[in-house]
Amino acid sequence: MSQTHRLPNGGRVDRNKVLTFTFNGQQYKGYEGDSLAAALLANGVDIIGRSFKYSRPRGIYAAGAEEPNAVLQIGATEATQIPNVRATQQALYQGLVATSTNGWPNVNTDMMGILGKVGGKLMPPGFYYKTFMYPKSFWMTYEKYIRKAAGLGRSPTQNDPDTYDNMNHHCDVLIVGAGPAGLAAALAAARSGARVIVADEQEEFGGSLLDSRESLDGKPAMEWVAKAIAELKGLPDVKLLPRATVNGYHDHNFLTIHERLTDHLGDRAPIGQVRQRLHRVRAKRVVLATGACERPLVYGNNDVPGNMLAGAVSTYVRRYGVAPGKKLLLSTNNDHAYRVALDWLDAGQNVVAVADARSNPRGALVEEARAKGIRILTGSAVIEARGTKRVTGARVAAIDLKTHSVTSPGEWLECDLVATSGGYSPVVHLASHLGGKPTWREDILGFVPGEAPQKRVCVGGINGVYGLGDSLADGFEGGVRAASEAGFKAVEGVLPKALNQLQEATVALFHVPHEKGTARAPKQFVDLQNDVTAAAIELATREGFESVEHVKRYTALGFGTDQGKLGNVNGLAIAARSLNVTIPQMGTTMFRPNYTPVTFGAIAGRHCGHIFEPVRYTALQAWHVKQGAEFEDVGQWKRPWYFPRNGEDLHAAVKRECQAVRDSVGILDASTLGKIDIQGPDAREFLNRIYTNAWTKLDVGKARYGLMCKEDGMVFDDGVTACLADNHFVMTTTTGGAARVLQWLEIYQQTEWPELKVYFTSVTDHYATLTLSGPNSRKLLSEVTDIDLDREAFPFMTWKEGLVAGVPARVFRISFTGELSYEVNIQADYAMGVLEKIVEAGKKYNLTPYGTETMHVLRAEKGFIIVGQDTDGSMTPDDLNMGWCVGRTKPFSWLGWRGMNREDCVRDQRKQLVGLKPVNPTQWLPEGAQLVFDPKQTIPMTMVGHVTSSYAHNSLGYSFAMGVVKGGLKRIGERVFSPQADGSVIEAEIVSSVFFDPKGDRQNI
Amino acid sequence: MTTANVYQQRPDSGVKAESSLHHTNLASLTGKGRKNAGVIVREKKLLGHLTLRGDAKDPAFAEGVHKALGLELPVALSLVAKGDTSLQWMGPDEWLLIVPGGQEYAVEQALRAALVGLHISVVNVSGGQQLLELSGPNVRNVLMKSTSYDVHPDNFPVGKAIGTVFAKSQLVIRHTGEDTWELLIRRSFSDYWWLWLQDAAAEYGLSVEA
Repeated sequence: MSQTHRLPNGGRVDRNKVLTFTFNGQQYKGYEGDSLAAALLANGVDIIGRSFKYSRPRGIYAAGAEEPNAVLQIGATEATQIPNVRATQQALYQGLVATSTNGWPNVNTDMMGILGKVGGKLMPPGFYYKTFMYPKSFWMTYEKYIRKAAGLGRSPTQNDPDTYDNMNHHCDVLIVGAGPAGLAAALAAARSGARVIVADEQEEFGGSLLDSRESLDGKPAMEWVAKAIAELKGLPDVKLLPRATVNGYHDHNFLTIHERLTDHLGDRAPIGQVRQRLHRVRAKRVVLATGACERPLVYGNNDVPGNMLAGAVSTYVRRYGVAPGKKLLLSTNNDHAYRVALDWLDAGQNVVAVADARSNPRGALVEEARAKGIRILTGSAVIEARGTKRVTGARVAAIDLKTHSVTSPGEWLECDLVATSGGYSPVVHLASHLGGKPTWREDILGFVPGEAPQKRVCVGGINGVYGLGDSLADGFEGGVRAASEAGFKAVEGVLPKALNQLQEATVALFHVPHEKGTARAPKQFVDLQNDVTAAAIELATREGFESVEHVKRYTALGFGTDQGKLGNVNGLAIAARSLNVTIPQMGTTMFRPNYTPVTFGAIAGRHCGHIFEPVRYTALQAWHVKQGAEFEDVGQWKRPWYFPRNGEDLHAAVKRECQAVRDSVGILDASTLGKIDIQGPDAREFLNRIYTNAWTKLDVGKARYGLMCKEDGMVFDDGVTACLADNHFVMTTTTGGAARVLQWLEIYQQTEWPELKVYFTSVTDHYATLTLSGPNSRKLLSEVTDIDLDREAFPFMTWKEGLVAGVPARVFRISFTGELSYEVNIQADYAMGVLEKIVEAGKKYNLTPYGTETMHVLRAEKGFIIVGQDTDGSMTPDDLNMGWCVGRTKPFSWLGWRGMNREDCVRDQRKQLVGLKPVNPTQWLPEGAQLVFDPKQTIPMTMVGHVTSSYAHNSLGYSFAMGVVKGGLKRIGERVFSPQADGSVIEAEIVSSVFFDPKGDRQNI
Repeated sequence: MTTANVYQQRPDSGVKAESSLHHTNLASLTGKGRKNAGVIVREKKLLGHLTLRGDAKDPAFAEGVHKALGLELPVALSLVAKGDTSLQWMGPDEWLLIVPGGQEYAVEQALRAALVGLHISVVNVSGGQQLLELSGPNVRNVLMKSTSYDVHPDNFPVGKAIGTVFAKSQLVIRHTGEDTWELLIRRSFSDYWWLWLQDAAAEYGLSVEA
């Protein structure tokens, strides 16, 4: 029979909607509204996994984010696998597939069970350090074993089919938690007109009211919750986010919220819907209404399935209509937990007894329990539970809190469910993410948020305010405060009336004593997820670990995804007692984001796949694609690399493209080069200061190559700048340097030379640039332009304006190939039409499109540098043999002049750029290869330089390279050697870096 | 002596012109999106864009601009418009003027005539950028997915315009009507923006308007 543990009625589930799901290969049924944990319990599934170190069977222990055991792997297909899902937080959906992450290969008959016993000895506290330090090389092997055994889940090996995204918010008040305090705060803040976001990690708003026995205004509390939600929904600037965990509290009131939009609907998000969203919120004020988390008592065998947090029992009974057992034994040190016994009784189940550590409890709930005939054993606690795969009984004995000892032999009571409550721990995680140390309050036996610089207000349970009426009032007041601090005027409001019940104080009990002592008693677990026992903590303190941070690291207490939700305070209390200090003296460990695990998908958002990074295209991209170009990434740009024809490879295509340019004419898309329009009466003076060479005498209509150095005298960009009018220039930069150079110009103008009247504007995207290069470029261009191209009328290094293919153009006669060359600039909108007309006219000249690779080869044949390839930020113009480009007599001390005259920059034997010609003309010197003078010296050899550019396939017919060599310019004619990784040595002659047309006749005809 | 080289950059009509989203063939998508789409995109292409620089504190500059354009210089982070002409503050000494396509040459000449003798710069950037108009009830959500800037009308009223981070790059956002916004996109990034916007708007439904 299915759902053996489902109560006949009750709960917020929809019994008409039956859902089928699978756990560890077995099919079960549950209802819509169930959590996966509730559905598993309804089906009587006791064992949910095996423990981390000792491989002990473990069952569902809690009902919320604090669940330590039921951390499962979810996913029906390989692509939809999600690790680290708490069954208590996962809504049930039709077809859900879940598996244990621990207990390999099977949770019920665990092979690790045997290993585990060995492993238990293998893994005392500090096992990471003790066992696996030596031999070091084994660590990798150990790590694999431990990771698998530890059941940390696994990531999918296929691409996630769902969509995840990020969204940015700004609000006046962010309210974290939609329990009574949070909702009261939300009403107060929202009514003031503030922009409010309310986020809650649960499937629905209500917090503790979702399973409360209490009433508000004499009606079930959830009726007030529904009314509050309806009011909030009606306000325009209120955003309600259920299924949304505020996971991180970062600097400047920036918080991250992980919203699960469709995780409750199915294995995959419905088509067109986003599965999860990471909200990035910047809030003026934050209201933390995160509530409190019940703390278990630490007793023997408290990890056997059937041990459960007391409050969780109420949650399963009242919210899901599930009884996680038949016979309940409750062990408590406080009044509030008595509601669990009452709920259990109301559900028609058997309450065996309540063990209360207090000697004479008389609170309202206690009396109600007493009146209903529940057996109450005072001054007592559950000392140990019995059972392996399920609790079969537990021993209750009298204890002395002062001496921490057991004072009676006790009584074994038959039961299958031990509910435990050791008080409540305010959920201070978010309040502590930025370092505000929580402070201990003896009156509530819990840590509350300490002083913190953040603009936040804490309300309700996180403040140790536990009564319903008090919590509502605290929340409302906090909401008013947050809104008014954010600049809004709060309006008065009436709060619903809660019944004020007499509650007696909780007594301090964390670790229940055992007559055998901690070391010999049955294992008393403090941190179930990390398998840390009370004995381990005591051992750690005996071994000398006194700082709480050290105890944590030595024992793994509160590690990983758990973040100490259940075990932190108990662990501290045990360490404190063992060290004979108080809990506040002991202090707490740091809490870090994230509060619960966040999927990588939600973090990455849409920055993946085809929109991972911006890709920039020129106006001619469609044409390049049509020509079959292969592309190269240059910064964010896609540039045609080469244009293969008939299955050519890179080398064949480049050789052909080079030859076509040298023989006839080629065309290059140079649109990506940075172009900066410079205007103003001081433009020329500015150029004088920013470039290394002189600009005073450049006439209108002329263009000049310029080098730019940083203050240190090292080359950082280059390009041609043309004088368009007296106060008007256009500068070109390298493709990658465009933004950098513009910023550089602005910085110097704005900060150093504000007296210079000059403005800079990027025109990189405005102009498309087509470069025609080769001996036939003049003939070709003349067919499509009205510009007089005669060499006298339009000489080298000048520019003209006119129509090209019917489109107004500026044409620059400059050359990066060493050939007769024209760069045609037109407004980018018209570039495609111009290109098509040029290509049509170019047919008879074998006009050949060429890409960046051919451009690189042709410029290298001419010895033209590429900044960033032949330079590396440590080369002066003189190092590059470009002293001709340095204006040594310029009157103003221009950028780089002082730097390049430093002692070190003018010494002998600096690395200088030279040509390298392999002695064997077919041998290619790898770019980046180191050079030595003597290849026979012993290793490590003295390196004297390296290859910067090298091309085997070119128009020269032999392999050649450029490189830097110590004192290279004085070594022309000498040999250098490049020892290769395979042991071979490439020998090369140091030559001039200009390999082709050294006199420049071809570009200047 | 001419201080600047200004020329008619646009060819006579009849010459093929391609906006930066030409390859996406938006025209063919017109009317094909989801009915009642949450986001409607419209390309405002081939307009005249001029970047104007000058000294905002110099009354002669403001007067000259007004004389040439009939528009007051907008204050920081705002936009003024008259008919199809808009003038946007881009920085303490920089404005963006958008005029109907083809008018930019005449307007530049008028500006230069009105501002003669002042240190200014006018640069035609028409080929390098264009506007994408986004309208519909879900535009704000799309913007919130894309930029960390606060786009709530309290902070971003109609008439405001800012340059900011958008996805993994930067652009200018202009709020031109209650549910209408414009993105000023650079030509080389246009494809990325188009892909990004389609993706961000997918859950709300996207339609294209001519």
